[in-house]
Amino acid sequence: MGTRPEIPPGTLHLLVLKTLARLGAMHGYGIAQHIRETSQDVLLVEEGSLYPALQRMLVKGWIAGEWRPSENNRRARYYQLTPEGRKQLDRELHDFGRVMGAIARVIEAV
Amino acid sequence: MSELLRRLRFLLRRAQYERELDEELQHHLALWAEEQWPTPFGNITLLKEDSRAMWTWTFWEQFAQDLRYGLRAMAANKLFTAMAVLSLALGIGANTAIYSFMDAVLLRSLPVRNPGELVILKWRSAGRSGPPRGIMGTMYRDGGGSISPNFPFPAVATLDPKHTALSTLFTYASAFQINLVAEGQAELVHGVFASGGYFPGLGVTPAAGRLILDEDDRAGAPPVAVLSYSYWQRRYAANPAAIGKQLLVNNVPFTIVGVSAPGFFGLDAGQDPPVFLPLHSSPLLTPKPAEEEKRRFFNRNFFWVEMMGRLKPGVSLQQAQTQLAGEFGQYAESTVTKPEQRAGLPKLRLEEGASGIDSLRRQYSKPLLVLMTMVGLILTIACANIANLLLARATARRREMAIRLSMGAGRMRVIRQLLTESVLLSLSGGALGLLVALGGIRFITLLLGNRNGQAILRAGLDWPVLGFTFALAVATGIVFGLAPALQATKVDLAPALKEVRAGAAHVRTRRFGFRFGLSRVLVVAQIAISLLLVIAAGLFVHTLANLRAVELGFNQENLLIFKLNARQAGYKDAALANFYANLADRFRVLPEVRGAGLAEFPLAAHYWNETGLTVPGLPATGLPATGKPLSTPMVSADQSFLNTMQIPVLLGRGLEAHDMQSPRVAVVSEEFAKQFFAGQSPIGRRIGLGGEKPTPDIEIVGVVRNSRYNSLRNDNPPVVYVPYTQDMKALGGMTYVVRTAGNPLALANTVRQIVHQASAAVPVADVTTQAATIDETIQQERTFADLCTCFAVLALLIAGVGLYGTMAYAVARRTGEIGIRMALGAQRGKVIWMVLREVLVLASVGLALGLVTAWETAHFVASFLFGIKPNDPLSIGLSIAVLVAAAVAAGYAPAWRAARIDPMVALRHE
Repeated sequence: MGTRPEIPPGTLHLLVLKTLARLGAMHGYGIAQHIRETSQDVLLVEEGSLYPALQRMLVKGWIAGEWRPSENNRRARYYQLTPEGRKQLDRELHDFGRVMGAIARVIEAV
Repeated sequence: MSELLRRLRFLLRRAQYERELDEELQHHLALWAEEQWPTPFGNITLLKEDSRAMWTWTFWEQFAQDLRYGLRAMAANKLFTAMAVLSLALGIGANTAIYSFMDAVLLRSLPVRNPGELVILKWRSAGRSGPPRGIMGTMYRDGGGSISPNFPFPAVATLDPKHTALSTLFTYASAFQINLVAEGQAELVHGVFASGGYFPGLGVTPAAGRLILDEDDRAGAPPVAVLSYSYWQRRYAANPAAIGKQLLVNNVPFTIVGVSAPGFFGLDAGQDPPVFLPLHSSPLLTPKPAEEEKRRFFNRNFFWVEMMGRLKPGVSLQQAQTQLAGEFGQYAESTVTKPEQRAGLPKLRLEEGASGIDSLRRQYSKPLLVLMTMVGLILTIACANIANLLLARATARRREMAIRLSMGAGRMRVIRQLLTESVLLSLSGGALGLLVALGGIRFITLLLGNRNGQAILRAGLDWPVLGFTFALAVATGIVFGLAPALQATKVDLAPALKEVRAGAAHVRTRRFGFRFGLSRVLVVAQIAISLLLVIAAGLFVHTLANLRAVELGFNQENLLIFKLNARQAGYKDAALANFYANLADRFRVLPEVRGAGLAEFPLAAHYWNETGLTVPGLPATGLPATGKPLSTPMVSADQSFLNTMQIPVLLGRGLEAHDMQSPRVAVVSEEFAKQFFAGQSPIGRRIGLGGEKPTPDIEIVGVVRNSRYNSLRNDNPPVVYVPYTQDMKALGGMTYVVRTAGNPLALANTVRQIVHQASAAVPVADVTTQAATIDETIQQERTFADLCTCFAVLALLIAGVGLYGTMAYAVARRTGEIGIRMALGAQRGKVIWMVLREVLVLASVGLALGLVTAWETAHFVASFLFGIKPNDPLSIGLSIAVLVAAAVAAGYAPAWRAARIDPMVALRHE
């Protein structure tokens, strides 16, 4: 457990936004699931971080929540990107790209 | 912004939010259970708290927490809270009261459009006497030169068309006292002459009708008048029908065309003129014949009209001044007729005009600064007191702090909470202080004798003042709370936690020593500041006593005085003189009247009329000592004035009734005889009075004793008394003096009736007594003496409480030690002395500091003093005695308590 790599700080928003961009509307459980599967079980999102992060993004207006019946016939809150959220995703992708590139350059330099 | 809305919606739908989050988590848990998610589920409560925290304002939540805690702490400690709030209320209230006057007098802008753009035009001349060959208005000294806002009317025209730095330039002038008759009521009021550009230039709109236009402001235009809003309300009950009616100004009919905007009082915050008249109507109103007045109006060397302008956007005051000074310089140069005039040529200068004409500011700014400093010092003492109490409390709360810190509370967080407590205290003090301020404003207004017709001080609790109070209260709370808060949170956890009970006496850490040190420093500062305030009070009280003890040279008791101006009601020449004489005769026959006379103004009441003088045998260019042309102060009076004032005749005779018919005679004062006749008898000698090099055709018939002429502060100048009929052209308003058997003011109504019977068009103005008039001239000194005595008492009280508290605390802490001393045989007297010695050491250090400061700063108040020096040894010695007495009084109770300590109890306690 202690050896599992943690999600780098600051990237959780990016992961959630990207997931929603890909899936359209999805509930919290589905988001966490998707991140885990897509990362091939490397990135595990804990509920203790996921739900506060979703609330944060609601406050910021990047995502909107809507109650719908879920696949197991329960009510679930489905989250969706707002136009504001799309812009934020672009911003974060851009920033992340620059940081990744920079880190790559640093660690690959001879 | 929408984020704010979302957060607010959250606050309203909190319950729904909780339900939804619950449901969401249930859903998550259910799916998790189905699929055997490999991660363990975390702490659900924490998850919820974290989610909720996203929506709330943590800062304000904590603030609310601190507030609740602070209120509980205040309620738990009632005595402390009451003392702190009360002393803060006094300190903040006094500051608010003085500040409201500062705001009204020094800071407030005129209620006009964009007051920040306004500039006032003035000139400065290097000479003391100033360059103008005639001036009607204001002139004051500035260093070696003189400054005035008055200009000749033709000078305005040379500036007017060319100015590019100003977007507008308009003129106005004081109409001084005018006789205004409206709706059958006559009164003497201050009026204003305004040019056509005045109202548009200021951006003042009419409340009714129209304002003065350019076509009203030209020679020969029908005379119109604009009322002030307050006068319209007072005299016409705000009736629009007033427009079109006529009123009489100095017996000349004017048609009312409109009312100015509510709240507009002209350009002088110290006045509230009821009427505004066109500038070009001024020759109709002034006492001299209209033709002569017109000549003065257009005279290139007669300075009377004032100017104000608006800077164009982007133009600085300096740029505008450079440009206008050049234009005015050419004008001034063109008036030169003799080369020696060139030395004192006036130079134009611009001053900021946002707060209007600066007469009030010049009069009150320095006194207000002195008072503001004093109340600031009082608040400092109060702060020191509360800081001291908080320090003592912090010691009592050491254990609590240690527990909180050891449980993981951040130091900043605890400091913030302690500061919230102290700011809460100071805000409560500030709120109560507003009541103190209301009382204070009323008290000071009363002290300043804010009478109608005198300077009006518009002080009150308005928004800027309330803002000041709030800011002051918050700052105060932080100032007195910060040191104790820092101190309280700097705890060595281990020893503090080991203490059995809070504030136990037997643990003495180094920090404890420091705390005690800081508290003593505060007490010393309090004593030093109190000494300053007590010395100031001593100096001002002494000054007032000196002024009251001034020998007047006349008897001021039981004298009724009042003013009349029959000329403004249409009387002229012989009819005017007769009107005055007949009235005086009617007063003299009243049974309660001992004597009645009249003069152009009352004595010792800040009036001065200086006239040119020739004395045969003396050079016209003046006495060699002064180098000035000869001149003398004078008083035009009737035959009874000197008798009524009880100014005794020393040589020859006084003025007599027949002198009023053949008025080329004069009575002079001792000082006059001394200065101009080298102390020899001047009886029978001839002098000339008035204008330049007057012909010596006036015979001196008597010498009277010296008396105060214009002020208690000035030495007696030479004075010449002449019959009021001597210069009929100059005869205008007169002041009656009536000596009564009993209370002079009881006669006021009778006087009004008699004058009303003589002429309904002549209003009686400024009915008062000679004593009250003189008192008014020392109103500032009175205010200072009264206020400073209050301040000094307040400071002594607060500092006394501070000293008492500190010593009582010290004794309580040293109970064990004192017990041991007594058990070992120390006498009670010795114990008392031990405590008092400490008090005296603190007091002496404070007094020494205070003395040094007083020595350094006393010259700031030198100009307010009379008859004493700022380092007056008597005042300072008494002040020191008072403070030592106060210190011993404050320290004696703790010392006495120390001496009553029972060694057995103290030791068992240990």
